[in-house]
Amino acid sequence: MAINFITKSTYDLKAKKLVSQLSQMETMLDAYSFEELTSDEASHLKKTFNAFKKCLDQMIFKPVISSQGGQGIEIRNQATRSTGLMENKTTVNSTMLIAKVSHEIRTPLNGIIGFTDLLREEGLSNRQLSQINAIQSASNSLMEIINELLEYSKLSSGLGNFETTNFYFQNVINEVVYLCNTLITRKEVNLRTAIDPNIPTVLRGDPSKLSQLLINLLGNAIKFVEKGEILLNIKIKERIKNSIHLEFIIKDSGIGISKKNLKHIFDPFKQADNNTFVTYGGSGLGLSIVKQIIEKCKGEITVTSKLGVGTTFTFFLPYEIGKDKDMVNKEESTLNLDEGIKQVSKMNILVFEDNILNQKLIETRLKSWGCQTFITDDAYRGIDVLENHPIDIVLMDLRMPGMNGFEVTDLIRQHSNPNIKNVPVIALSADFTAQNEEECKVHGINDFILKPYSQEELLSKLINNKISEPTSSSKPVTTSDCNKNPIVDLTSLLDDCMGEFELLENLISLFKQNALEFIGACRIHLKNKNYEGFGFASHKIKSGLAMLKTNSLLSIVEKIHEYGKKGTGLEELEILYTAFIKEYSLIDKAIDIDMAKLRKIK
Amino acid sequence: MDRKRLLLAEDDELLASLLNYRLEKSGYQVSLSNNGKEVKDQLGKEMPDLIISDIMMPYFSGLELIDYVRNELKSKTPIIIISSAGNEENVLSAFDLGANDFISKPVSPAELIVRVERELAKNQ
Repeated sequence: MAINFITKSTYDLKAKKLVSQLSQMETMLDAYSFEELTSDEASHLKKTFNAFKKCLDQMIFKPVISSQGGQGIEIRNQATRSTGLMENKTTVNSTMLIAKVSHEIRTPLNGIIGFTDLLREEGLSNRQLSQINAIQSASNSLMEIINELLEYSKLSSGLGNFETTNFYFQNVINEVVYLCNTLITRKEVNLRTAIDPNIPTVLRGDPSKLSQLLINLLGNAIKFVEKGEILLNIKIKERIKNSIHLEFIIKDSGIGISKKNLKHIFDPFKQADNNTFVTYGGSGLGLSIVKQIIEKCKGEITVTSKLGVGTTFTFFLPYEIGKDKDMVNKEESTLNLDEGIKQVSKMNILVFEDNILNQKLIETRLKSWGCQTFITDDAYRGIDVLENHPIDIVLMDLRMPGMNGFEVTDLIRQHSNPNIKNVPVIALSADFTAQNEEECKVHGINDFILKPYSQEELLSKLINNKISEPTSSSKPVTTSDCNKNPIVDLTSLLDDCMGEFELLENLISLFKQNALEFIGACRIHLKNKNYEGFGFASHKIKSGLAMLKTNSLLSIVEKIHEYGKKGTGLEELEILYTAFIKEYSLIDKAIDIDMAKLRKIK
Repeated sequence: MDRKRLLLAEDDELLASLLNYRLEKSGYQVSLSNNGKEVKDQLGKEMPDLIISDIMMPYFSGLELIDYVRNELKSKTPIIIISSAGNEENVLSAFDLGANDFISKPVSPAELIVRVERELAKNQ
């Protein structure tokens, strides 16, 4: 999955702390002698505890989004009202501000870039085509500037996100070189590579940061060389046990940089002179980003240059040596467009998108690949499509009026039909903040595409998230025949209630509360390896399950009970716990549907 | 005719509220309790006409409850035990200790009412 969760480690830490405090409280409660309580005290205790629980539930199931987001908007308003005041405000969170502003710019830019892309295929006159090219190149550089600004602010604020993973070194280099060659247009420039064959096949580190560095430096070189050669030379500097130091040399025969300017070359917003910007464009952030990334990777970068002769950037990066067998067997990272289109043609894709421009854009693109598309900005219309068509993938814009993308995904994930419930959802957003990515995970979104995106990007995300047939791996374990037999039977329970619908409603709400409590208890017991706790919790919920005749859940709970009693099988308990949650969400939905039906009859 | 007083000791709120409703509808006066300690206190003060108790209860199990009623309070008040399915051993112990009847989960309210009526009729 391409999503990186920036705040994951702090999130884990906080959650761990909370859980340990809760279990401490649990132990204290266990040790407490309730005999000494009067009934008034007991009822007060119960009330307090319920209030606490409600509050906790709310925090767990409906987390409040950090107030920073709101602040960003406020800051912007302030800024527009009184420009210049901004720097003085100590509370200004520049990263958030940049993220907000860049979102506002990315969204319309997405439409512009996409449509010029489409226009190009319309059989235009040469004059029109050159105008389109001009629009496109202008929007692309605008995009580049925004991206760099964002990247820079993220790195400066420490939010920069590094992953450590095994990767095929040569693949990354091939990709970079391929990309850079496409940048060399109508120029007599030759991009040459010299790579030490002894560099291990698999390295451990951040491949995307490596390609970002190389593209940045090589791209720079391409920009400043009109005629001549660019060399990418990679050597092994040092090899100690399991780690390796690589030396990267990017040498060009370009215009060169004067000594005076060379001093400030890595400073933000510095270009050789104002004229450089006029001629070559750019944000002036590229090299300071490069430097920051390298330093964060515990490497270093130096530069030498001579006016009229050329410039050489040299940087070192440490890597661990990875093992080939650790590699997940992924498809080739470089995607053949035609091959890819073949793979997605005939896919049924549901798109939630409110921007009409973007709606048309994505529809045209998907149709050109032979996909069948359904486009809507309305949650219920979308669910209706899911219920009536075999949808393979959902593309979800996160910001929509009314129900937002997260809420719509929640609806999908709660659907009673497992095929709908498990449909892959890819979020589309121009918003770049970490919160969003963390939230994606929470809401069961499978992948994330940042707007604007290239067609290759969209294509590869579609392929990566396509459920290969048969859908054995993604099928929930215990829901095999839920469509044949009703999974809950409320009519007989209503009979037991002598037709009193209100009583039934009370019972159902009690049941749901119990189930949520059970889930919460299991989560804590799993962390604490508390087998006894499992035994007790599963006993508590059993009779309710039996009353509702939810046999699938009951059999899961009975197994949990057995393992709890035996005091072994933590792994099994974890699997059963997950199965319970999956199954429960089906039951929950089925109950609601049944209740709605019974209410109508009544 | 006086309404018969039942004590229902059941820690599962769901089942307790359903049974409470049905028993009251059938004309019984029901006092509810969800833990064994409370049941013990209540029984010390006043003995109902019949006790319905779950076997698995926090603090004071249904089995201990039977033992307490029969051996400490020396009462012959009928006791109907609610047991989880497949828990034969407990049911046998309950009978050994002096339970009059049992019903296993999932409890059918109608069946329980019949059993309650039968026990009360025996006692008259």
